[in-house]
Amino acid sequence: MTIGLFAVFIVITLGVTVWARVNTRGTDDFYAGGRAFSGAQNGLALAGDYMSAASFLGIAGIIALSGYDGFLYSIGFLVAWLLTLLLVELMRNAGRFTMADVLSYRVGRRPMVRTAAAVSTVTVSVFYLVAQMVGAGALVSLLLGIHPGETFMGISPEAAQVITILVVGMMMIFYVSYGGMKGTTWVQIIKAVLLMAGTTALTVLVLSRFGFNLSEMLGAADARSGRPGQFLNPGQRYAKDADGIVGKLDFASLAVALVLGTAGLPHIVGRFFTVPDARAARTSVNWAIGLVGAFYLMTLALGFGATALVGQEAITAQDPSGNTAALQLAQAVGASVAGPVGGEILLAFIGAVAFATILAVVSGLVLASSTSLAHDFFGHVLMFGKPKESQEVAVARFSAFVIGVFAVFLAVLVRDMNVAFLVALAFAMAASANLPAIVLSLFWRRFNSTGVVCGVYGGLLGSIVLVALSPVVSGGPRSLLPSPVDFHVFPLENPGLVSIPFAFLCAVAGTLLSREKSDPGRYSELSVRALTGAGAHGQPTKNVGGAR
Amino acid sequence: MQADDLAGLATDERFRLLKARFRRLALTIVGAFLGWYFLYIALSAFARDFMALPAIGNVNVALLLGVLQFVSTFVLAWRYTRYARRKLDPLSAELRDEAGQRQAERERERRILAERHRIENWTRR
Repeated sequence: MTIGLFAVFIVITLGVTVWARVNTRGTDDFYAGGRAFSGAQNGLALAGDYMSAASFLGIAGIIALSGYDGFLYSIGFLVAWLLTLLLVELMRNAGRFTMADVLSYRVGRRPMVRTAAAVSTVTVSVFYLVAQMVGAGALVSLLLGIHPGETFMGISPEAAQVITILVVGMMMIFYVSYGGMKGTTWVQIIKAVLLMAGTTALTVLVLSRFGFNLSEMLGAADARSGRPGQFLNPGQRYAKDADGIVGKLDFASLAVALVLGTAGLPHIVGRFFTVPDARAARTSVNWAIGLVGAFYLMTLALGFGATALVGQEAITAQDPSGNTAALQLAQAVGASVAGPVGGEILLAFIGAVAFATILAVVSGLVLASSTSLAHDFFGHVLMFGKPKESQEVAVARFSAFVIGVFAVFLAVLVRDMNVAFLVALAFAMAASANLPAIVLSLFWRRFNSTGVVCGVYGGLLGSIVLVALSPVVSGGPRSLLPSPVDFHVFPLENPGLVSIPFAFLCAVAGTLLSREKSDPGRYSELSVRALTGAGAHGQPTKNVGGAR
Repeated sequence: MQADDLAGLATDERFRLLKARFRRLALTIVGAFLGWYFLYIALSAFARDFMALPAIGNVNVALLLGVLQFVSTFVLAWRYTRYARRKLDPLSAELRDEAGQRQAERERERRILAERHRIENWTRR
């Protein structure tokens, strides 16, 4: 039944994609959806791009098992949008399609800057993509209720996992390479509406079971959490008292990456350019704040509701990391309203929503990285900024295919690893590699191209190297590599606390140490354009008194 | 749009005002929300007993402050938007229109010159 509902979603989105293809002609259409989306539409799409299955299933699961600490994720993910709100108008005015447009505005045609931005965009996207796709693979065996060793219609769980990754990969490649930004945006909008409807329905049903008394729900959750009296207090999962100061620093590091990463996520930045002007961009971020805020508030009801109604034991029995909590909750709540059939129906609906969520987020990521490859690397580096539009769009379609295949390959390869850390790592990389370069480009008069390149690579390499040398990879209880291997030097699992300041330092040092002079004229030009929108792409210039 | 049209506006008094207003606003908001967010994170990490105090029924201080983070985010976004609409948008629209006008004038001059040139060439023949 889940499959049936999901098939309906696919048929509808395919129709939209085909329609979008018919209406996509040049680069403005393919990369920016013709800049014709309204603030509200783009706000829905931003929320759709942002709310991944990791937050839907993952956060509900963490709250269900660790109580209050899971809620910290929700808060970080929302608060981050304020920074986005402050930057969105400036970036919309200064850029054209990608972050690299903003970074290279002042420094002219420097291939190094474009290349750095493209490398960072693709790296962040691919890490995030792999995490989402492995998540999709894990989800399917849980949804079909296949336990290890069993088969479902002759398919083993391993095979089901691989098949799911392949199907998701094919779909996302199709959405992006065929529908471009127009198609992908509509997929996001449909997904956001579905996800909000699903979570709202579930939340209302859960709360109604407790007479809409939040306190009563929390009490019930506490009682069935396996650690009554502590479940609602901080420190059940992160910064446990036993971990001492390292644990607390690690926790702060995660918090920093969450709050500073959002404004540098490539699939979010790409969405700033799909609206006609800066005002619409502001409106769209405000919509996103409203939707994302409402959604993350509801994760409270989902998580605590799951503990209260399903119980901690039943959740860990199904999946030790709690990713099925929201699904089990749907089944329990549906059953209590309309009997076993109701349970199956609600479970199928929420499961289909989860699939739609994954599919939409991975499409957004593939679009962002193929846009960057085609526009920044092919268009500006290989073709010196003078490619034919049709050529560039063809390259973008092809890059979507290449990146999609690459991500599928990686996801199949690492499908059995615990890759949940990749999401946090993607945020840390976005916060270290992209945010310092964006902020300094917009606000620091002396900043130059050497600084951009140093900042981007410094942040990117810094965060990757720190994670490679951390307990995530070796020497910890949950490391990727088996126990005798231990080369960890860096004690924190989250690199942000060190890698973000390091990236700023690299950017400043690169600027001051290079002999290259910054161009104050270009900086004034950028600041006028960023703040007023004069000369921004897609802005119809008023032709006052200039009639023929 | 020609580069000097934009760079020329950079020294305009109104642009300076716009820039100063935006920077003040942005710094206030960034200071407020980052300060409050990290205070909250620090409380969660170090002031465990305080966060565990009951507030309303089973809702403790930690959850209450967490929900307040949501409220403060909504309020700051709303304040920013209101301020931008009142104090930033009119200024930037004025400057943008002026830049557009300047560009249009330049365009017209160029067209007139080209036309004159064409006529001169034609009469000389």
